[in-house]
Amino acid sequence: MSLTESVVTELKALGGKPAEFKQMVSVTVDVSDIVNAVQTAKSAGFNMISDVMGVDYLNYPQHQGKRFSVIYNLYSITENERMFIRINVNDGDSVPTITGVWHGANFMEREVYDMYGITFENHPDLRKIITPEDLDGYPLRKDFPIGETPTVFNDGRFIDPAAFRAGLTGQDSGLSGHQGGMRKGYSADAPMPDAPKEA
Amino acid sequence: MTIPKPSPLTQPGVTVSDIETASEFETKLMRLNVGPQHPSTHGVLRVVVDLDGETVKRLVPQIGYLHTGFEKTMEHRTYQQCVTYSNRMDYLHGFGHDLAYVLSAEKLLDAQVPVRAQQVRVILTELNRIASHLVFFGTGILDMGALTLFFYTMREREQILDLFEMVCGVRMNYGYFRVGGLSKDIPEGFVEAARKFISGFPKMIDQYATMFAKNDIFVGRTTGVGVLTGEQALDYGLTGPSLRASDVSLDFRKAQPYSGYENYDFDVPTSDKGDVNARFMVRMEEMAESLKIVEQALDALEPGPVKDPDRRISLPPRQELETSMEAVIFHFKLATEGFHPPRGEVYVPTESARGELGYYLVSDGGSMPYRVKARVPSLINLQSLEPACIDGVFADMVANIASLDPVMGDVDK
Repeated sequence: MSLTESVVTELKALGGKPAEFKQMVSVTVDVSDIVNAVQTAKSAGFNMISDVMGVDYLNYPQHQGKRFSVIYNLYSITENERMFIRINVNDGDSVPTITGVWHGANFMEREVYDMYGITFENHPDLRKIITPEDLDGYPLRKDFPIGETPTVFNDGRFIDPAAFRAGLTGQDSGLSGHQGGMRKGYSADAPMPDAPKEA
Repeated sequence: MTIPKPSPLTQPGVTVSDIETASEFETKLMRLNVGPQHPSTHGVLRVVVDLDGETVKRLVPQIGYLHTGFEKTMEHRTYQQCVTYSNRMDYLHGFGHDLAYVLSAEKLLDAQVPVRAQQVRVILTELNRIASHLVFFGTGILDMGALTLFFYTMREREQILDLFEMVCGVRMNYGYFRVGGLSKDIPEGFVEAARKFISGFPKMIDQYATMFAKNDIFVGRTTGVGVLTGEQALDYGLTGPSLRASDVSLDFRKAQPYSGYENYDFDVPTSDKGDVNARFMVRMEEMAESLKIVEQALDALEPGPVKDPDRRISLPPRQELETSMEAVIFHFKLATEGFHPPRGEVYVPTESARGELGYYLVSDGGSMPYRVKARVPSLINLQSLEPACIDGVFADMVANIASLDPVMGDVDK
C-alpha cells in the first residue's frame, strides 16, 4: 500500500472524503479537523508543505456547498508522492492555522488571507502580504471589480483609470485622489479632490 | 556638578560575564529598514530587521512592491494567451515558467506533445537555467563587494540571450511555448550556434571558479554563514538548489520527470554544508549538469513536427486553409475562443532555477482557466531568510539574500 493510500485511509477515519482526478489524490476534511489531518499526513511521511492556496467557487457552474476552498499541497520526498487536503469555507469563516506544523505555511496562509479574506486563527503574523495595507477588498475573489473601475482603498484614497491615463500623457497632473478621510501625511485642511466620475 | 559613576571594569572582583549582564551594558533593539530601493535586495525587497548591536534578532521581509496581478489577469485570458503572462513572473527564468504552465494545461487536455517539441523545450529551459544562474553569480558576488565577476557572467549570458533571440525574436519575455508544442520550429543554424556555445562554456566555468570559488576572500566571507540544516529547510518550505545545498536531494527533473528529462543522463549536485558557500557551489555544479543535458538533447534532436496534430488544440498549417473547409472552421474556433479543457484541477511540479515551480489550474470547462495559482519558488524560499540570518551579523544578511536567489517578479506575481 502506498503512502498516499494509507494516509487516505487514516483521513477517512476522520471523516475525510477522497477524490481523484488524473492521478491527483485529494481528501476533503472538516475545517475543524485540518490541523489534525495535516499533522497525520506529516507524521505518516509527507514531510514537505508545497503550497496553501485558495479558490473562489462563486461563479463555478453547478457548484454546490460552500463558496471557498483552501487547498493544502503536501509532498513526500522519501516516497515521491503528492497529495492534496482540502477544506471548504464560507465567507467570514476562519480556519485554524497550520503554522504550528510547518513554519513554511506562514507566507502561504498570508497570501490566502490577502487574496480571499479567509482568516487563519492563531496565525503568528496575519497581515496582508502582497497588496497595499489599505486596499479595500480581496482581489482574487470572483466579485472583485475588474476593468475600468477605480481602485478603492480603505481610507478613501482611490486610483481612477481615466485620471491615471491623463497623468501619463502629461495633460493632467492627477494620478490618484482622495475621497472622504485624510491619508497619513496630509494636513486636515488640504483641499478635497474631486471624486471619480461615474462611468 | 555630578560625579560620573565609576566604570564597572574598575570595581574589584568584577568578572567579564558580570559586565556583560550588567544593566548599563544592556542595549535596546534597534529597528532598521533595508530597502525596498537598495542595490543588494535584488529588486524591490524590503526587509525590516531588529538589531542588537550588530546581531540580527528578528527579521521580517516586506514584499508586494512588484505585484502585477498576473493570476487574476490569466483568469480572463484563454489558455493559449496565458503563455504571455507566465514568463513575465520570473523574468530571469522565463522558459521555466512557460514550461510549467503549458505542462499543466497539457495535462488537463491530455495533449500529445511531439518529441522534437519536448527536446527543444528542454534545451531552451536548461540554457535559460544557466543564464539565470549567471545573473545569480554576477549580482550575488557584486553584493559582497566583488565587481569584476559581474562583467564576465553578463558576457556569457549575452551569448545565451542571442540564442534565444534566434529562436523567438526576443531576449526576455519569450512566449515561445504553446499548449501542445511550440509556436514554430527552431531556425536553421540554431543547433550549430548552441553547440558553439556549449563547447566554449566549460572553460568559462573554470574561469569563474578561479575568480571566486577558489578565492580566499570569498570562501572566508561565505563559509559557515547562514547555515540551514535539512530539517530547517524543509520546515520553511525551501526548495531548489538552496535545499540541495542543505543535503536534501530533491530535484523534480529526477523525482517526477517531465518533458522527457528521464532520457537524459545528469547528476543532482548536493552539499552537506548548508551555508552560503554551499548554495553558491551547488549552482556552480548545476550549470555543468545543465550543459550535459543540453548536449544530449541536441544530439537526440531529429526533424519532426513541433505541435500536437490535434486540430482542437493547435492551429492548422496555413496552406490547409486554402483547400480545407474543416481547417478554416478549426482555425476560426481556435482564434476566436480557444479550446475547452474538461472540468478538473491539475498540478504539475517542475524544477525551475529557484525551486519547485508548478501551476495549479482549475478548469470549469470554459475556454479560460477558472483559477490559476502559480506555486512560485522565490516567495516561499524567502521565508528561509529568517532562520538563516537570526543570530548572525547584519552584514551577512546581504550574503544570505543573494544566496537564496529571490527574483522579485517571482515573489510578488
